[in-house]
Amino acid sequence: MSVVLELNKVVKRFGGITAVNELSFNVNKGESLALLGPNGAGKTTIFSLIMGEHRQTSGSIKLRGEEISKLGTHKRINNGISRTYQVPRPFNELNVLENIRVGMMPDSIMDMIWKKSDEKLEKKLADNVGFSSKEYYRTPSELSMGDLRKLELARTLATNPEIMLLDEVFAGLTVGEIEHMSQLLHEKRKEGMTFVIVSHDLRSLEPLVDRAVAMTFGHQIAEGSFIDVMADEEVRASYLGE
Amino acid sequence: MEKIFTTRSILLWILFAVVMCAIPFLAGKGFLRICIQAFFLAIYAMSWDVLSGRTGYVSFGHPFLVGIGTYATAILSYRFDMPLIASIPLGILATMIGGTILFLPALRIKETYFALVTLAFMELIYQLTQVVRPDLTGGTRGISGIESITTGAINNYYLSFGLMFIIAFSLWALMRTRLGNALSAIGMNEEAVKGCGINTTKLKLFAFLVSALVAGIGGAFSVHYFGSLAPRNLFDINFLFTIIVAALIGGSSTIIGPMIGALFLTFLLEYLRPWVPGTERFFIYGIVALLLYMYRPSGIYAIFWEVVDKFKGKNASSIKDSTSIQGVK
Ligand SMILES: Nc1ncnc2c1ncn2[C@@H]1O[C@H](COP(=O)(O)OP(=O)(O)OP(=O)(O)O)[C@@H](O)[C@H]1O
Ligand SMILES: [Mg+2]
Repeated sequence: MSVVLELNKVVKRFGGITAVNELSFNVNKGESLALLGPNGAGKTTIFSLIMGEHRQTSGSIKLRGEEISKLGTHKRINNGISRTYQVPRPFNELNVLENIRVGMMPDSIMDMIWKKSDEKLEKKLADNVGFSSKEYYRTPSELSMGDLRKLELARTLATNPEIMLLDEVFAGLTVGEIEHMSQLLHEKRKEGMTFVIVSHDLRSLEPLVDRAVAMTFGHQIAEGSFIDVMADEEVRASYLGE
Repeated sequence: MEKIFTTRSILLWILFAVVMCAIPFLAGKGFLRICIQAFFLAIYAMSWDVLSGRTGYVSFGHPFLVGIGTYATAILSYRFDMPLIASIPLGILATMIGGTILFLPALRIKETYFALVTLAFMELIYQLTQVVRPDLTGGTRGISGIESITTGAINNYYLSFGLMFIIAFSLWALMRTRLGNALSAIGMNEEAVKGCGINTTKLKLFAFLVSALVAGIGGAFSVHYFGSLAPRNLFDINFLFTIIVAALIGGSSTIIGPMIGALFLTFLLEYLRPWVPGTERFFIYGIVALLLYMYRPSGIYAIFWEVVDKFKGKNASSIKDSTSIQGVK
């Protein structure tokens, strides 16, 4: 197994708060890693650091062995990492297909102007995450939370990533929507996608992951198989309040 | 994706050109002179709209851009006796370069501060034109007696209309591409655009360059039309608001909207002149703009399509959405 993403002693301070504290972990190609931790543990912050939306205070982040800490967000995305947001961030005045279109856009002004968008692929991505053709032209205000998460996923997939960071994918979804989302992630896993998944819904998360890293107050407390990590005393104390 | 040039849209553009070209046969010189003013205002409003209407980075500095264009052109032509064929392109180039040097750092800051910083630029250049090298800028009095491109209301009408038409059509076609989508998306959620792997700074810079190009063209040609410039009028807060209000009441992000807005505003101001001679006129249009903006935030242009669709018995609300994104139906 080859390591695709490598965090080494990553620290992030916001003023006086240390959100991430000397955290290190690896993600292997094709695996699915759960990132566990109570509210405020620093999970979302780690995603922002990996994406370059925030810069770490110290430590290194490597993608396929190369340091990416100096790269801007768009470069990291073009190198194959992409994320979803805990709070979905659709383009409110664009419909489902147009949202996906922005996700598929090349990072070249000339290509934006001269090359047409691939409507077939847009529709395929929309279908893929479970939109029906009559939902193509709906705007985000007409969509449920489940639909917004689907859209978020489709837009992320549109950037053609190898590694996807999913933040609270199941939050706010109905039972049926959770099932559909799980199904979709299963399929993507089979296709070889690498995942880092954050979710408070442990029961839905468990069948989707190979491994887990648990953290609290920004540092790691356990790493290993999902079951072992969940059995860890410190994890139970901090995460489950036992 | 929709085709950029649909038969219907091309026909509408042609119809627009034909109607506007017929006006000099029907109207008097006074009317044409007002139209010319409106065309220049439309150019500025479109320039503002490409940057601010789309990306949400509200520029309060457009008079500053127009100012560079007019001053550079006027100085080159009047003080250095350059021919028009050199003074105009150089003036436009100066707008793009000068604007970029000052705006570029500002494009990295957040929207609200952007507005403030650009406002400061306008004030800055106002002060500078009066103090630095008044032998060139003409100080507080400005410059007059600048060579004109062509004479007579009719010729100037066609010239300014042609300029506006070419600019409008080019911008419209450009904004119908994915670039237009991307710029609008920045206005909705810049972080998410970055999250799609797009370098938003590069996009904003491009939008800015286009905006400066258009403002520069407007400035350079208008100074040759009016034959004079005065810093008091150019760097006037009323001029700034006229540009912005024209873009907003017409319908931001639509290209056609700012044109309609500019015509509407110019004629409104002209016909109010007999009754309200002073600057109070600006209050009136302020109120009109506010009312329109409160009740119809998508502007006159969207109202126009609603009426058209009512007429045809179609559902109007679907149109409003698509106009805000696609620029035009
Ligand atoms: N931009 C920011 N500025 C200041 N502090 C921040 C910022 N972002 C996060 N923090 C702080 O960093 C810590 C970690 O936050 P983070 O959002 O990463 O936690 P989380 O594990 O994702 O929590 P949750 O499960 O609630 O989503 C918190 O104390 C939070 O208040
Ligand atoms: Mg979080």
